[in-house]
Amino acid sequence: MNKKLQWLLVCITAICLLVPGTSFSAEKKLKVAFALLWTIDDQGWTTGHYRGIEYLREKMGDQIEVAYTEKVRAADAERVFRGYAEKGFDLIFGTTFEHMDALMRVAKDYPNIRFEHCSGYKTSPNMGNYFTRMYQGEYLAGYMAGLMGFKNVGTVATQPIPEPIRGINAFTIGLIKGLDEAGVQYDSDKLNTVVWLKSWRDPIKETTLAETLAARKHDLIRQMADTPDTSKAACAAGVPAIGYGTDAALAGADCTLVSSLFNWGPYYVETVKAVMDGTWELRQYWKGFEQQGIQLSPFGSKVPQDVQTKVIAEMEKLSQGEDHIFAGPLYDQDGKVLYAQGSSASDSDLLSMRVLIKGVKGNIPQ
Amino acid sequence: MIDDIVFISQITIKSSIGVLLAAIGEIFAERSGILNLGVEGMMLVGALTGAAIGLAGGPPLLALGGGMLAGALLAMLHAFFSITLRADQTLSGLAIAILGGGLSNFLGRPIIGEVGIRLKAFPLPYLSDIPVIGEIFFNQSVLVYLAYLIIPFASYVLFHTRTGLKIRAVGDDAVSADVIGINVTAIRYCCTIFGGILAGLGGCYLSLAYTPGWKENMTAGQGWIAIAMVIFSLWSPYRAVLGALLFGGLTALQFFFQATGIEVIPVYILLMLPYLLTIGVLILVMHLKKGGKDGKSPRCLGVPFHREG
Repeated sequence: MNKKLQWLLVCITAICLLVPGTSFSAEKKLKVAFALLWTIDDQGWTTGHYRGIEYLREKMGDQIEVAYTEKVRAADAERVFRGYAEKGFDLIFGTTFEHMDALMRVAKDYPNIRFEHCSGYKTSPNMGNYFTRMYQGEYLAGYMAGLMGFKNVGTVATQPIPEPIRGINAFTIGLIKGLDEAGVQYDSDKLNTVVWLKSWRDPIKETTLAETLAARKHDLIRQMADTPDTSKAACAAGVPAIGYGTDAALAGADCTLVSSLFNWGPYYVETVKAVMDGTWELRQYWKGFEQQGIQLSPFGSKVPQDVQTKVIAEMEKLSQGEDHIFAGPLYDQDGKVLYAQGSSASDSDLLSMRVLIKGVKGNIPQ
Repeated sequence: MIDDIVFISQITIKSSIGVLLAAIGEIFAERSGILNLGVEGMMLVGALTGAAIGLAGGPPLLALGGGMLAGALLAMLHAFFSITLRADQTLSGLAIAILGGGLSNFLGRPIIGEVGIRLKAFPLPYLSDIPVIGEIFFNQSVLVYLAYLIIPFASYVLFHTRTGLKIRAVGDDAVSADVIGINVTAIRYCCTIFGGILAGLGGCYLSLAYTPGWKENMTAGQGWIAIAMVIFSLWSPYRAVLGALLFGGLTALQFFFQATGIEVIPVYILLMLPYLLTIGVLILVMHLKKGGKDGKSPRCLGVPFHREG
């Protein structure tokens, strides 16, 4: 008799375990989770992702269930991802580089769940990655600055790795194009002076650095860090600024000419839809203006109308997918040819970029 | 050239004031025998409170007062644990540092980055017209001028008044001080709270003048550097000025070198220097066993006071 009871218990347990796993009724909402690097109000990277989440909620809130966790650092990431996987989430996003390895490990253990990783390079059959071509926005900001005749820019750069390096180069390419079109004379050895924070955010150092650049008589200060403090300090020192990530003008830096913005929302909606329709497939997504992965903020009042028109025309081209930013001829700081006329940097070149181009002053710290 | 020297000196002073204010407060606490490792936490709550009051439309004086009060409240907590309850001062101090960090992060979230008050550089009439010197010293924020006043005042009180004598007596030999009728508990409470007030003011300097607005962990370790500065200074306000200026100078120089491309000393070495020097001074102190009256740490530093019997 005891044995029968045992069997019965085993069967009941098995059924209990199986039922919620297999039943995929039509009313069931897709569960989407995000792990975020910092707090949703960090004014930079995570705020950008959070705007994307809000956009996703606004578009599909009735069909999905969204959850997120803030301040997920590398050491803690695997626990967070595993937790979401165990709770039955169908699609899990790791939104920063340091989530990559944890996400890989969890993705292997849960082959039926889809994973997406932002800004990394590893993939597995159920884990894709995504990023936006922020350098396009930086190129446009540089183009605008060039058209306005700024030729001694100071850049407060973050970490000396390919992404910011790419952005610095794209900005400088735009700057040179703008100056050439405006017919301004310039010294091509020091168009854009780069100083490194060696950190993604550090308000006090950003301020000190911006003040140093202002005192060194740079005519425009470019923010690359997550917090808008570079732009704010530039404004306080009476030098115009260019914002990054989120709109610095909205954060109180009213001298900001323009900011290039992350816009993750459309990508999140597209990916969630793909998972719902069952059309999700592994891909390495890297898009810019053509998919509205990035945007430009409204221009500041000091930007002349004709300059705005030209920049918007250039943005239209990028929206059509015509990205010739890194087309040759391009020279490195010593004047050596990097890409000859007719050739251009491939995506893999861009993703591993470790050289500064002619026009940039400063070096890449080791 | 001269322009560069002027603005490097300007930034040096600007960068040193937050650390300096906190360090002077900590000197008082330690001179009375209370080791307060919670400076970072007290600076953070001070910075948040100042920024929040400023944002709510409060006048600058109220914002500063609020910041100082917040620092004082945390210091009072430390004083209660370490003086009244005679708890381990290291543990209590670390707890205060963590509490201040967590509390400010939690409470500060709604106002991250919003700017209420910005205490701009306020050139002092006449004084700021002096070439070079005027630009370096007297074209700063009001809080910098306040620090100019606090430094000699702190040193005078500590070394030339009866109050200062009592403070040092309590820190060096609490039992004897008690025997001759000094209220050890009261003196230690006052000094610890004074330390909290100055740490709060240092925090306000960062959130109202240096880089206005509240950001998480915006002190970025300045509270810990202040504690190192106290040891470096051998518990003297004037030498703390030296240490703080060294810290500020290195901050200013590392960016100047990068911005100009003239790298005389590698940045990594520059960043290491304040800590190396602190270690060096510590080793020196060990050898100064018979050092003068202010050559070594207060003898009762970190030791709770018990009245015998």
